[in-house]
Amino acid sequence: MLISLPWALGAFKRDAHRPAAYLNILLTLIAFIHGSLVLRDVMTGGPTVLTFPWLSVADLNLDISFSLSLTNVSALELITGLSLFSQVYSLGYLDKEWALARFFALLGFFEGAMSGVVLSDSLFQSYFLLEMLTLSTYLLVGFWYSQPLVVTAARDAFLTKRVGDVMLLMGMVALATWSGVISFDDLYAWSASETISPLAATLLGLGLIAGPTGKCAQFPMHLWLDEAMEGPNPASILRNSVVVTCGAIVLLKVMPLLQHAPVTLIVLQVIGSISAIGGSLVSIAQVDIKRTLSYSTTAYLGLVFIAISLQVPVLALLLLFAHAVSKALLSMSVGGVIASTNCQDITELGGLGGRMPATTGSFLVGSAGLVGLLPLGGFLCLAQAVELIGARSVIFVPVFLLTNALTALNLTRVYRQVFLGRSLTKTRRAAEVNWQMAFPMVALSVIVVLTPFLLIRLESLDGLLAFPLWAAGLVVGSGVIGLLVGSLIPLNKAWSRSLNPVLRWFQDLLENDFYTERFYRLTIVNVVALFSRLAYSFDRNIVDGVLHGLARLSLQSAEGLKLSISGQSQSYLLTVIAAIVLLLSSLSWWLN
Amino acid sequence: MTAIKMTAAPTLPDRDELIHRLLSDQPLLADTPDHLLQIVNVLDSYGVVLDAYSRNLVNQGETQLLNPFPVMRFFHEGFSFQRLWQHLRGDRINFEYAEYCQKAMFWHGTGGMDAYFDSQPFLDTCQRIIALRSRRDPLLALVHRIYPGFAPEAIRSMATIYALGLFWRVMSDLFLDLSRRYRSGEIVTVNDAVHHIRDGLVSAAGDPISYKVTVGDEEVWILPPEAGLTFLVDVAVPYVEAVFFRGMPFLGTVSYNAQARQISADISDFKYGALYADPIPSMGAGIPPSLCMQDMFRNLPEELSTWYESHGRGLNDVHVQICISFQKSMFCVTNGAISGTMPHSLDTTDFDQQQANRAYALTWAERLMGCQRGALL
Amino acid sequence: MILTLLLLIPFLGTLLLSLWPPGSSSAQLRRLTLFILSAQCIASFAVLFWFDPGNPGLQLQERLSWLPSVGLDYSLAVDGISLPLVLMNAVLCLVAALASRRIENRPRIYFALLLIISGAVNGAFLSQNLLLFFLFYELELIPLWLLIAVWGGANRAYASTKFLIVTAVSGILILAAFLGISLVTGSVDFGIRPILSGEMGLTSQLLLMGALLIGFGIKIPLFPFHTWLPDAHTEASTPVSVLLAGVLLKLGTYGLLRFCLGLFPEAWELAAPWLALWAAVSVLYGSLAAIAQSDMKRMVAYSSVGHMGYVLLAAAAATPLGLIGALFQMVSHGLISAVLFLAVGVVYERTGTRDLNVLRGLLNPQRGLPLTGTLMIVGVMASAGIPGMAGFISEFLVFRGSLQPFPLATLLCMVGSGLTAVYFLLLVNRAFFGRLAIAAGSVANPNILSTVALQEQLPAIALSFVVLLLGLAPDLLVGMSQAATTSLSDLALLQTTGGLS
Repeated sequence: MLISLPWALGAFKRDAHRPAAYLNILLTLIAFIHGSLVLRDVMTGGPTVLTFPWLSVADLNLDISFSLSLTNVSALELITGLSLFSQVYSLGYLDKEWALARFFALLGFFEGAMSGVVLSDSLFQSYFLLEMLTLSTYLLVGFWYSQPLVVTAARDAFLTKRVGDVMLLMGMVALATWSGVISFDDLYAWSASETISPLAATLLGLGLIAGPTGKCAQFPMHLWLDEAMEGPNPASILRNSVVVTCGAIVLLKVMPLLQHAPVTLIVLQVIGSISAIGGSLVSIAQVDIKRTLSYSTTAYLGLVFIAISLQVPVLALLLLFAHAVSKALLSMSVGGVIASTNCQDITELGGLGGRMPATTGSFLVGSAGLVGLLPLGGFLCLAQAVELIGARSVIFVPVFLLTNALTALNLTRVYRQVFLGRSLTKTRRAAEVNWQMAFPMVALSVIVVLTPFLLIRLESLDGLLAFPLWAAGLVVGSGVIGLLVGSLIPLNKAWSRSLNPVLRWFQDLLENDFYTERFYRLTIVNVVALFSRLAYSFDRNIVDGVLHGLARLSLQSAEGLKLSISGQSQSYLLTVIAAIVLLLSSLSWWLN
Repeated sequence: MTAIKMTAAPTLPDRDELIHRLLSDQPLLADTPDHLLQIVNVLDSYGVVLDAYSRNLVNQGETQLLNPFPVMRFFHEGFSFQRLWQHLRGDRINFEYAEYCQKAMFWHGTGGMDAYFDSQPFLDTCQRIIALRSRRDPLLALVHRIYPGFAPEAIRSMATIYALGLFWRVMSDLFLDLSRRYRSGEIVTVNDAVHHIRDGLVSAAGDPISYKVTVGDEEVWILPPEAGLTFLVDVAVPYVEAVFFRGMPFLGTVSYNAQARQISADISDFKYGALYADPIPSMGAGIPPSLCMQDMFRNLPEELSTWYESHGRGLNDVHVQICISFQKSMFCVTNGAISGTMPHSLDTTDFDQQQANRAYALTWAERLMGCQRGALL
Repeated sequence: MILTLLLLIPFLGTLLLSLWPPGSSSAQLRRLTLFILSAQCIASFAVLFWFDPGNPGLQLQERLSWLPSVGLDYSLAVDGISLPLVLMNAVLCLVAALASRRIENRPRIYFALLLIISGAVNGAFLSQNLLLFFLFYELELIPLWLLIAVWGGANRAYASTKFLIVTAVSGILILAAFLGISLVTGSVDFGIRPILSGEMGLTSQLLLMGALLIGFGIKIPLFPFHTWLPDAHTEASTPVSVLLAGVLLKLGTYGLLRFCLGLFPEAWELAAPWLALWAAVSVLYGSLAAIAQSDMKRMVAYSSVGHMGYVLLAAAAATPLGLIGALFQMVSHGLISAVLFLAVGVVYERTGTRDLNVLRGLLNPQRGLPLTGTLMIVGVMASAGIPGMAGFISEFLVFRGSLQPFPLATLLCMVGSGLTAVYFLLLVNRAFFGRLAIAAGSVANPNILSTVALQEQLPAIALSFVVLLLGLAPDLLVGMSQAATTSLSDLALLQTTGGLS
């Protein structure tokens, strides 16, 4: 079976605008169908690995290898499927876009990189593709390059991910050097047999988790996802759902290598917990409709991190899947709101519920799929989580429940703010979005509703439903609490703020994401800027100063030799050549 | 090194100058032969494009009401595989831009038609249509039961589409007529062109706007003649308000980020319309009017095409040049509309009437001050 | 004979150019030069025909006695290290000539100098005699100095003088070292072969290698001998910058590998830890200084300082992987910086400025320079080490090859690679994103830039494709050079285990 199809997508050029889009959609469809065939084969025939030699130099052998395991191929299906939906959606969302071809070319590149990451069977290749993902994220976020905030957003997205990537590169190179192998299976074997010093193992582990942390927008590298919301919504759909999934899958793949580094695992758990709770809290304070979702992505991936670090890969995968489809649906719905109201500020929205069936419906279904309340994907995963996590480390159970409650609160709040209530100026006249957007929303809604069945097909039935009643009770309880609080809290309208100073301080703190951006600006950015200025002034004053001093000295000592360039260049050239000839001949004489 | 030509910043006409031009029957746009050539030819191509837009919107109004999958809505000339191929290839008029204008008009919601949308007779009509359609369309019946606001909103939107189609029908004829008169030598100055537009608008001002659809085998008036909606006040003025002045922020130049607060909460403050637009980013990403520029480019008269070749970067930046010319011509249309709606004749000798004219000119001049006045030079 | 041909074509071409009928226009002379350089290109690639990539030693040797009394032999040969550089020289000289479209001031001399550089650089890469190398090394210096001094920008007098003096010092140090070798060993054999401890004390070895190191360090350039480079680049015209960054800096790194490492493996081994540290400082320093720049060209120039540091790092490690990485880095840096300089050149020529505080939004599709912007993004991403392009492969090989011996320095260099992304992103975001503006302040309608013809961009487009090709199929280059770098590395490593003595 050829699996290079997703790659072909990256090969698109921009011949004309619409045809490129149609072609891209067609190829994604083919990739999806092809992927499902592969999935069927893998389900019946077990995993296979495809390897093509790529570069072999000295003691280094790099192969292109794809591992077709059930997990990987399902993830591939998730990616191509969601990508397909979001591409159809783009046709509607960007129907007034002249640069459509560029957008689709980038989307194809993006999709190709993601497909490669999930299938990849070697650390080197994963890194290679993650960097491509970074590049395509930069280009996609920077799609509307003349918009000022896009400019900074694209830059920050690139640099934040790049920090993670460079650390991953360090880890990868170190690992490759020590072990001499690079494919995951060989590395697992190596790490099982070899013991390296705890310090080295810890540093290595930290390097390896840095890449996924950046990709999954986890604390402290979560800022980019917020800013990346400046990009076009169809790309945001993918970013909120499957890009983060890719990061998590890479983390899953490196997980067996971290066994000797308990510190790394603790770091992962801490990162996950902070991201889960902090992300949920921050999302509640957001007024921008896209950002209310992006921070909740950070929160859910925090949960995935915890699950991975506690060695429950099954749970992590279930969470990823449930989150990806629900979050993609929510993002689509949000895009519908933006498209019909030209507005992202939820305090300026209201009363859309009755008029936009597809958008409203998909927001409700998406929320239900995400939150553990109704028996959909989110509920199943969280109930499983409570049981499995509870059995390993009970302190993380509250994290899961709290995140669930806060997410329920947030989504309820957003729903009330946007879809219920009185319509305001910006929502007074808002028709439903066009069919290219509505259709993927409805189709994906159906899939979200069917998620439990899909999950059951991937997992065995009894495995998935084998959670005790108390776990279900806890999850539903937390969901209900969130829902109730969310429906009772007062909503603020139109740029207003609380009068209570304490509350307002807290609100500002969360709204500004704990001032993380300002913190970075004050610390890292300033430090780098300072050093760069220092280096440059050192260059101009000290290095050049010494050089000028020497030159002056030598010029003074050779007063007669006037170095003037203007006009006399030919005679000067002659002088220099003569000098060299003289030098050479004197040398030959002297050596004889 | 190639010499970079530096030009000093020119002085823009100020408010008093604008009032003076409005009251003394001078065009807002500097009356030069170059300007005349640009606006007449650009309006010519715009007239051709509007003709297509208008036919399409009217056709949509007649056939696409409450259609859940209006896949074929751009095939108002009938379907053929050759047309489908051209459509897919992008070798066609970009009707999406017409819908964009419609959306702006609908969303900003000013004028008499918008007020009628909230009236009881209109709501009754909606219920009637929904009841009629639901008989054969269970999906609509279901959706209407769960989301009662959906169908009326869709009917409102479709009514705007139809009305905009009617409006553009008139404008297209007006612009093509202008071009015909220019070529026959009747129009020789920019002022003549403004007068032509003014007279056209005035003569069409009272045309009734009405909209009737056939649902099942029953005919229903969505915008009945009794509502008394007319061309100028209920469609043209809201259109100018929504598209020339307010507009909608372009994703390619303005951040929608709520925390950045780049977009005003009050939509009457919006300054994203054609008269405020910056022509330079044309054809860039996230600039919807690029579609319109492309449509006009495909229908550019020979004369203007030749003129562009020797200006700017020649055909390399022709869309930007079209946009610049287009903005100039839109100033002329606005100019015609202002002149046509002056409360009193300009040559009146009555002092009160003069004051009223001045006050009217002042309100417009105030508004125009924030626009791209550079286009007037 | 083929190698001599590589020297004959440019030098006879120079002669032909000066004898060409007077009164011929700049365009005619340029066409003639292009013809000569195309022939040179074909001849260079023809070498591949006879070249055996599996053979680690010298190939296609040509030897003629010239001045036996001083030990100066006309001795040429090629191996896996010099061949890629010869090929790159041929390509980049052709690109430089292609980019020299508007030479109105004394075109005959200009093109003649271009040809001399091409020949001299080839000579330096091919020569197997120390004195011959030195001769060519110096021969390339004068034309370049003139190219900057006569066809340069406003501040060219300062920049060219600085360049001349500093590089002359470099030449003197190298010559002194070569003569020193002959003095200490007491022979006049200037052939290239490793000097062993049996022939020379370690102190003298260190001393002579130090002189060579500083000499080549100036040329590469390494901190703190680098300040001539940003100045020279800023004043040089685009084609000269392409040559300077793409080819001439490589003389320094080539010298480093061939002479410092190749002649003094033992002393090298001793100094290696310090060299690695030096490399890290150079990388970080270059990157940081680049961040502070507001002139696009200076920024690219400082990036060279940083990127050449990787070569020193890999040379210090002297592992087989590291050395192939170093060679890969030389080639990829040459190609990438050529792309960058060509793009910057287009921007400067059209807008009259390279100031990042002024330029905005050049990606504008109709009024801006969209194709240039795209090429710039490709170049920048390649330079920042994004996989899929040549820069990544070289960085990966260098890092992978150097981590074992020098973990700290390698990690620091990786940080430098991260910083590359910072300054280049600043460059792209400032100059190419946003609303189009090409003058200080906000002019409503910016002045109209003259259009860029596609053929003007062709060289940069072609180079970008090569960068991509090498990034996706590194075997093309690795296969050619692996044997030679491995044997060089064996030489260095055997010294440490005492295998040879």
